[in-house]
Amino acid sequence: MNYSIMSHMIASYPDERTAMQVAKGLSRGGASYLEIQFPFSDPTADGPVIQEACTKAIENGFTLDRGFTFITELMKIIDTPVYIMTYAAPVVYIGVAEYLRRAKASGAAGCIIPDLPVGSDEGMYQISSELGLDCVPVIAPNTSIARLQEILNVGPKHIYAALRAGITGTKTELTEDSLSFLAEVLKYEVKVLGGFGIRTREQVSALDERGVASVIGSYFVERLESLIETDADIEQGMSDAISSLV
Amino acid sequence: MNTSDNGFFGEFGGMYVAEVLRSPLEELKSAFNEAKDDPVFQSAFAEEAKTYIGRPTPLLHAKRASKALGGAQIYIKLEGLANTGAHKINNALGQGLLAKRMGKRRIIAETGAGQHGVATAAVCARLGLECIIYMGEVDIKRQHPNVFWMEQYGATVVPVSSGSRTLKDAVNEALRDWARNYDTTHYLLGSALGPTPYPDMVREFQSVIGNEVLEQTRDLEIEAMIACVGGGSNAMGFFSPFIGEKRPRLIGVEAGGNGIAPGEHAVRMDGSGAVSVVQGYKSYFLLDGEGQVQNTHSVSAGLDYPGIGPQLAHLGKEGRVEFERVSDEQAIDAVKFFARNEGLCFALESAHAGAYAMRLAPTLTEDKRIIVNMSGRGDKDIFITARAIDEDNWISFLEQEAVR
Ligand SMILES: Cc1ncc(COP(=O)(O)O)c(C=O)c1O
Repeated sequence: MNYSIMSHMIASYPDERTAMQVAKGLSRGGASYLEIQFPFSDPTADGPVIQEACTKAIENGFTLDRGFTFITELMKIIDTPVYIMTYAAPVVYIGVAEYLRRAKASGAAGCIIPDLPVGSDEGMYQISSELGLDCVPVIAPNTSIARLQEILNVGPKHIYAALRAGITGTKTELTEDSLSFLAEVLKYEVKVLGGFGIRTREQVSALDERGVASVIGSYFVERLESLIETDADIEQGMSDAISSLV
Repeated sequence: MNTSDNGFFGEFGGMYVAEVLRSPLEELKSAFNEAKDDPVFQSAFAEEAKTYIGRPTPLLHAKRASKALGGAQIYIKLEGLANTGAHKINNALGQGLLAKRMGKRRIIAETGAGQHGVATAAVCARLGLECIIYMGEVDIKRQHPNVFWMEQYGATVVPVSSGSRTLKDAVNEALRDWARNYDTTHYLLGSALGPTPYPDMVREFQSVIGNEVLEQTRDLEIEAMIACVGGGSNAMGFFSPFIGEKRPRLIGVEAGGNGIAPGEHAVRMDGSGAVSVVQGYKSYFLLDGEGQVQNTHSVSAGLDYPGIGPQLAHLGKEGRVEFERVSDEQAIDAVKFFARNEGLCFALESAHAGAYAMRLAPTLTEDKRIIVNMSGRGDKDIFITARAIDEDNWISFLEQEAVR
């Protein structure tokens, strides 16, 4: 049986052609969802691996036009649902409604914008539900039950639970604390994605046992780096990377 | 209205942060709201302000400078006489005392020029708190004396190598640290920006400047007050008691840098800034056509930042605060002018306010009074000002020092 994984990658990283191979590989290797990050210059919720990749992607000419075109092209060849992750600045800059409209038109299934939390979301949850886009709130172990309920009141289909405080990157031990935090979230009728520091099959399996899909990010970015370094087949390499986890 | 409405000043401000930072910010907000109305906290602040910072700072009538310019009477609020050389310590002290009250023993802060870092490190030494300062690699290179003093005060200075390796990247790194360590740690943010409650809290701790000015000018009619604006902490503290009044004119001066091309300046309020959300708050930011944060430039590291505090953004939009720009060159000329005419050494940041006073004073009659906030003194800038004003002698001095 296969585990459910949301695999993370960065649009235009290291370049558009390679990014397309990454997406195809992850999809073919068994990702249940693709999380595709649109790079932003100041990604405060991300660690150094993802920030560096984003900086390079911007230097290589990432634009929102290119990002949405990438998703449109990708959706012609894969069936895996795509969630576009980015930060508030580029979204608020072009307008939340405009951004969501373009995301929808590209064929994306949903959006993740950690610094537009429920209540400070500039209408994102309202507009996305009108459009039929699935916007995924991100919560943390210090999110109170009252706050969790406030978040669930906007009716998300998925919720992304960061399994520890901090940022992406460093490895997370699945402690009693993080598991009991998950247990609380699992009481509600929402599909739970668990992430931050997931990089082994044991972790994926432990989350799966509880009905939680794994979000894996920095690990795949690192795998991609080593594939590039060794001049290996990117699509095959990424497919292998994820199939050893699912 | 001088306090935010639920975190907002008009459309600006807010708490646009990843969920993990919500509860530390809420905790900070209630701790601050309790402390600010608590006489015990107030008197601890007042006592340290007097004996450690050296408050009140004087308001000087700059008679020779006024005469040389031929126009309005220029007064200068000498925040540069505060311990550690700038207004930054007012806020560092307030938040340091608050952190202690909250039981947080570990302090983190960002710094650009190093003034806020030095102030924070000094306060931590005074209060016995652990101190970690995030500073961009580029800034570490150009502000060595401040790095040296932070370390003497016992702080650990952590170089930030991500992004543009300047102030905004140091803020990012501090936010990341806080997201991991909020249980033990207070993030001592250095300007009147960031997510709520920082803009309100920093303004309150800095309002000691404006409140003293109010006392010091009780019988005087003031035409205009001028402050430089990086994020807005010295300006908001200086303007604070006057915001609700129609007068005096309040003027914020931004860094015009080398010109109007993107990347050459840090002027946000002339239409160059776009409304968006960066680093937890909504305001005007210098962004490129894709909503990415743009590089900025100013000779003064303290004004070299792409965003502006939300309350100033609002007051600018409403027209209560006027905004002007001053170039690198004009700021350096102002350093020279006030040194020669008043024996004052302006920080390059504050010299932007001084330079605008030099522009404004001759347009007004002699019976009018304007006040410049000299937010800091310029000893820290010697590597920049000496090179700009007297390059050959300075370089040969450095060469001699290196082999001495
Ligand atoms: C002396 C001085 N003035 C002004 C500033 C700008 O900051 P703010 O706009 O928050 O007062 C700085 C910042 O480092 C500074 O050191």
